[in-house]
Amino acid sequence: MINLNFVYPEIFLSISLMVMLLIGVFKKESSNIVYILSIFSLIILLVLNFNLFDKREIYLFNEGFKIDFLSTFMKVLIISSGIFVMLSSSIYLKATKIFKIEYPILLLSSILGMMIMISSNDLIVFYMGLELQSLALYVLASFNRDNQLSSESGLKYFVLSALSSGLLLYGCSLIYGFSGTTNFNQISLNINEVQYGLTLGIVFILVGLSFKISAVPFHMWAPDVYAGSPTSVTMFFAILPKVAALTVFIKFLYIPFINLIDQWQIILIFLSISSMIFGAVAAIGQENLKRLMAYSSISHMGFALAGLSVGTNEGIQSSIVYVSIYLVMNLAFFSCLFMLKRNNSYFENIDDLSGLSKNHPLLSLSMMITLFSLAGIPPLAGFFAKFYIFLAVVKEEMYFLAIIGLLSTVIAAFYYLRIIKIIYFDPEKEKFDSDHNIGLKFTLIISTILILIYFVFPSSLTNVISNINIL
Amino acid sequence: MIIHSIFFYIFSLIAIVSAIMVTVSRNTVHSVFFLILDFVSISCLFIMGGAEFLGMIMLIVYVGAVAVLFLFVVMMLNVTQQENEWFQSKKSKAKSSSHIPIGFLISTIIFFELIIVIGGWKLKPELSESFNLSVNNDLTNTHQIGYVLYTDYIHLFQISGMILLVSMIGAIVLTYRKKEGLKRQSYIKQISRDRSSGVEALEVEKNKGVSIDV
Repeated sequence: MINLNFVYPEIFLSISLMVMLLIGVFKKESSNIVYILSIFSLIILLVLNFNLFDKREIYLFNEGFKIDFLSTFMKVLIISSGIFVMLSSSIYLKATKIFKIEYPILLLSSILGMMIMISSNDLIVFYMGLELQSLALYVLASFNRDNQLSSESGLKYFVLSALSSGLLLYGCSLIYGFSGTTNFNQISLNINEVQYGLTLGIVFILVGLSFKISAVPFHMWAPDVYAGSPTSVTMFFAILPKVAALTVFIKFLYIPFINLIDQWQIILIFLSISSMIFGAVAAIGQENLKRLMAYSSISHMGFALAGLSVGTNEGIQSSIVYVSIYLVMNLAFFSCLFMLKRNNSYFENIDDLSGLSKNHPLLSLSMMITLFSLAGIPPLAGFFAKFYIFLAVVKEEMYFLAIIGLLSTVIAAFYYLRIIKIIYFDPEKEKFDSDHNIGLKFTLIISTILILIYFVFPSSLTNVISNINIL
Repeated sequence: MIIHSIFFYIFSLIAIVSAIMVTVSRNTVHSVFFLILDFVSISCLFIMGGAEFLGMIMLIVYVGAVAVLFLFVVMMLNVTQQENEWFQSKKSKAKSSSHIPIGFLISTIIFFELIIVIGGWKLKPELSESFNLSVNNDLTNTHQIGYVLYTDYIHLFQISGMILLVSMIGAIVLTYRKKEGLKRQSYIKQISRDRSSGVEALEVEKNKGVSIDV
């Protein structure tokens, strides 16, 4: 007998999604209602997920689903950041005239796909979840279809992502061929010696996964897609898929293939080093804030992968801490971007920020805190995130990785500090609008406060995450 | 048994001939029709081989959807009378077409692949028995697929339903445009009209007429 009450969140989300679709179809002018309802359903989903916090491991559907602490924690991260993304972006959507009923529904279906990805314990389930989330993301990227850049970004993302999905499926088929099963637990039981086919399969799947988190050298899509798609979608792109893909990274590498760590560790170290360096160097010349955030997210994902490449429980925990702090910083940064509005048009270039501090002292203060935190300056949250990673890396005596990480932090600090300099010391420009809605303000305030006071209670997050023991 | 083999040869002959006709026919629409004929005869072969589910899926998916889509594309792009440049290129008669060597190469590769597959199958017959699937021979394979699809793989079945739903929503979002000023029929309004609101008596002035636009 299947314990369906452990998949209640997924079932609830799919049903509420369909109900909202029906409301949107049969009721005219219902975009607002559907938007609010979807925020509420996300909140209910969060509550349902909190009920699952348990240290037990529960297998469902022939071991195809695995509900454990890791998956529940990551789901909570995803759902809560989904709520904040939706809260902060409603005004933006209305101003750019893409406030349609399909927008929240596609967001929810993408979240559903991520939840399936996160709790998957089987290659097929994992792939289906991945397809569900990326199919919704293709449409979201080109949601502003009358805008050329948005359509371009959607098409680019679609073509490249389909290619990477193909590679990933090929890897899955190789693994199935060499181990005789698609189930993660069974795979780890069936692998006895190193087989080149399996290694090839792992490599192909890692290519597909690193495309999803835009790690170098599979990052080419990220800057264009981030800059082209609507800012609210960029915010979504920068946070949620990365959390989901990182969870799959952890599950995929540490459950079936932990015995082959010699094979994949070097790949992960390469991905991590190249992402850190490339993300730091390539962001220097950027003028567009969204493009800059794309490169910054590449570099941050490099750090998260550094934690994963260590191969210890501490490494995994440090990279989970990293990604949770990363999403808070991104929430803060993008809600600052939503505030740069003048006469219903949004500004996203670095020059537009010049002299912001004279007209908007509070906004520039929170932006400064966010940027300092992104640069990893103590005592803000971003410093602790990097600190845990370095701690885990140095403990395993991987000094080279740690040194590269430190160097790239220094390089990356340049462009974050440059923005702060432009905000505080450059000649001021026209005032921006200041009539922001409550959800946007709430998101910015919460995330800024979290960044600011993290150093007071650093153990509250790490204590929760220390329950995640995969190995 | 003899009837069985007669049907087998008829269907395979049709399949092969129509596959050749797909490539050599000058009219693109004819090519698509031959493709449909090819699909239909192959699905008949599947059904004869006892794989009726595969045959029906072939009919529904390839004939019902893919081939019709091809037909639409051909008609939309208006390439019905394509120049036949398979055997000689029109522009420079001296040079022969570049399609032939590439096509020949690909067919050779496929041919050798077939030889390898059949060789492996003939030389190592225990390969096909190594699958430890428990097959109940009393049931048709549609039944068998149904038994696992709705029990062991119900979650995947449901997720694929969600994927199809999302793809449908996405297609509508990206292509549907609301037309302004489109006149639609509203039955409620038509039925609930009564004489007082529908008919109006007007005093028509001589040599002037009235404007009856509403």
